[in-house]
Amino acid sequence: MDFSAFLDGFAVVSQPNNLLYCLIGVVIGMLIGVLPGLGPAATMAILLPIVYNASDPVSAIIMLAGIYYGAQYGGTITSVLLRIPGEASSVVTVFDGFAMAKQGKAGTALGIAAIGSFVGATISIIGLTLLGPLVADFALDFGPPEYAALALLGVLLVATIGNGHTVKALAAAAIGLLLATVGSDTFTSADRYTFGSLNLEDGIDFVVVAMGLFGVGEILYNLEERHGKAHVPAVIANIWPSRKELKQASPAIGRGSLIGFVLGVLPGGGAVMASLAAYAAEKRVAKKPERFGRGAIEGVAGPESANNAAATSSFIPLLTIGIPANASMAMLYAALLVVGVTPGPQLIDERPDLFWGVINSMYIGNLILLLLSIPLVGVFVKILRIRPAILAPITALITILGVYTIRNSVFDIFLMIIFGVIGYIMKKTGFEPGPMVLAFVLGSLIESSFRRSMLIFDGDATGFVTRPISGTILAFVVLVIAMPLIKKAFRRRTPSTDVTSESSTREDSLR
Amino acid sequence: MRKQSFSLAAVAAGAALALTACGGVQTTAGGGSDSGDYPTGAVNMPVGASAGGSSDLISRQISRGLSDELGGSFPVINKEGANGALAAAEVAKAKPDGSTISVQNASLFAITPLAVPENQVTEISDFDVVQGVSRDDYVLVASKGSGFDSIDSFADADGKVTYGTTGVGTGAQLACALTFKVNQTPAEAIPFDGGAPALTALLGNQVDTACLQVGEAIENIRSGKITPIVVFGPERVDFLPDVPTAQESGLDVEVAQYRFMTVPQGTPQDIQDAIADAMQATFETSEYQDFNEQNNLTPMEISGDEVVAQLDEDKQRYADLVEEYDIDLGDAG
Repeated sequence: MDFSAFLDGFAVVSQPNNLLYCLIGVVIGMLIGVLPGLGPAATMAILLPIVYNASDPVSAIIMLAGIYYGAQYGGTITSVLLRIPGEASSVVTVFDGFAMAKQGKAGTALGIAAIGSFVGATISIIGLTLLGPLVADFALDFGPPEYAALALLGVLLVATIGNGHTVKALAAAAIGLLLATVGSDTFTSADRYTFGSLNLEDGIDFVVVAMGLFGVGEILYNLEERHGKAHVPAVIANIWPSRKELKQASPAIGRGSLIGFVLGVLPGGGAVMASLAAYAAEKRVAKKPERFGRGAIEGVAGPESANNAAATSSFIPLLTIGIPANASMAMLYAALLVVGVTPGPQLIDERPDLFWGVINSMYIGNLILLLLSIPLVGVFVKILRIRPAILAPITALITILGVYTIRNSVFDIFLMIIFGVIGYIMKKTGFEPGPMVLAFVLGSLIESSFRRSMLIFDGDATGFVTRPISGTILAFVVLVIAMPLIKKAFRRRTPSTDVTSESSTREDSLR
Repeated sequence: MRKQSFSLAAVAAGAALALTACGGVQTTAGGGSDSGDYPTGAVNMPVGASAGGSSDLISRQISRGLSDELGGSFPVINKEGANGALAAAEVAKAKPDGSTISVQNASLFAITPLAVPENQVTEISDFDVVQGVSRDDYVLVASKGSGFDSIDSFADADGKVTYGTTGVGTGAQLACALTFKVNQTPAEAIPFDGGAPALTALLGNQVDTACLQVGEAIENIRSGKITPIVVFGPERVDFLPDVPTAQESGLDVEVAQYRFMTVPQGTPQDIQDAIADAMQATFETSEYQDFNEQNNLTPMEISGDEVVAQLDEDKQRYADLVEEYDIDLGDAG
């Protein structure tokens, strides 16, 4: 690493106009993050013309990057307060975040999420600064077989999250996997469950499913629940996490950041896997796993650190090998083209000012976001004081607008309402939407990666085991499945095990 | 307290509405029959691809140009789905008064029909083609690990050669499938969801070769991480002057992606002329020419009638080739 170029990057960022653009970018990002559906990619597309007109194109790029990571902060707010996850990587935040909000600890949840996001992103930027090109090569070693194995592990982790009945969680996950098959088969273009509708040709969008099952389902449930009852505003005891809570959450933030950084480098599915793995990891290491889903602070801290770390490390493939990992990175790619730079291996040598300017702006941008979050947490938690009769229509409006903005489709709005009804029924009958949504996201990844692998292997499945990375992941999968059984076998041999602890172990192992 | 809740709610709803308005959701009718006044309102430009892809970027560039030349706004609306068929259906249904126009891809009309069921085929006759835009060439590239560097080197392949494509029913798939069939090389198609994942797999030696659009591959070609073998256009690409065309390498394979401006069938001629004139004026600007250069696009600024003739010819040619070599695009495993 060229250290003087790195320092020059800070000189670029600290120019007042660049600082201003950075501030504007992160604020816009945070705002659009709050509105689910209108994602950072669409916003960057609308603001792309600024790159043409800006006096210094580097400032415009800094602003666009700010929109992207700023949106990661905003997304948490709706997950925690309204139970609407705007993107796949914040689904797991809903479990404990929304539970905390209901207990009047929304401020704590948002506060710890902001701190976790800041730490996660910063660790990830340091990783990007020091190891960028190295990690990019690691991402290239991930071929279809590795993605298939990783997605399989993901589905397995889905079964361990949530707090309800394990069989019900598995049933919901199975439906999620089935939903993922809707649409034109990407290998043969045969139609699957599209009922002749072109609207279903590309499958169902994640946001439609998630906002329907979580957001709309929750609205319907609340309308029934609170009918006739006087509204008691949630007590907002403490806006900021206490010292004890910070201490409790800090190991989770550390683990989440590392998991997020590593998995975020993988284009396609990296960020989802990161937040899911971080949540599962916290639940595994927790002394009392049953707290999860009922407002465990680690359940917010881990995944939020992970998804921000992942969002940051997804810059690595773009800046070092010229591959956009997601739609937002594709927009940034387009913006760089306008500046006359083609992102690729030469970027760091050809335009060090741009490379380090953008990377170093993220240190500053994340600091701004943290500072902005502190007063805003206090404002946002007030939303919970709004009477449900007013809040519910607003939430409904946000979800409908959000879904519509994805691809300007009225069809998607109705589809979301159908999922809302399903979500309501699920909540009434004790099924959790979390496993269903996550399995839905992983379903298409697992299917297409597996089929791609089989084509590459020419039909010989032993390749999954003999390739080092996929073999290791699969061994881990086996371990995760076998662990509870082995533990149980050991317990059996110990005569002192009484009946109650036996049954509680079984319950744990099923989770 | 109640008052505060209300104002908070109002602010939240207001912000939500304002943001959605920024999302380019404008439904004002435009058009009007007097071309001197065109456009009288916002003109929607649906594009059948998500934000960030080349179709989207080209639409946005044209939108800027039209807006500068004609005044008024031309919001680009992303309506991805079914290779662009969803957006196409919307344009075909729209009022033919100039209030809806769209830049569309040749592959939707000439290649996708080879892969999808009959009832999903989009016909060019539902539209009036106003003006050609640009060509986006395909290139066959090989990974470093595969050792391939020319069409002849495929003769030394042991076992099947794997080729990544950007999806089923795309020009990339057709170009690669034809190349290996015509060259009689045993090969297997591995479809990916777009160019970026296919390139990733190629860089990681997960697949031996891939067909990609030039713009997607060029930076890694320049830095020597992947090896270009042939391009599939009618002549060499300016951006890769040393790479032969497939024809030059002795393979009768020519596949190209190009884009053109369409309006719903029956749109008044004076409106079509106004759009075409404004586009030609846009093509003259240095900003537009720089855009083409940066995105490795070759201008194909021919008239609408020429585009239709080219489409018909390509469609027939592809159908004949696919039949002759017994290729089923809808069956990649």
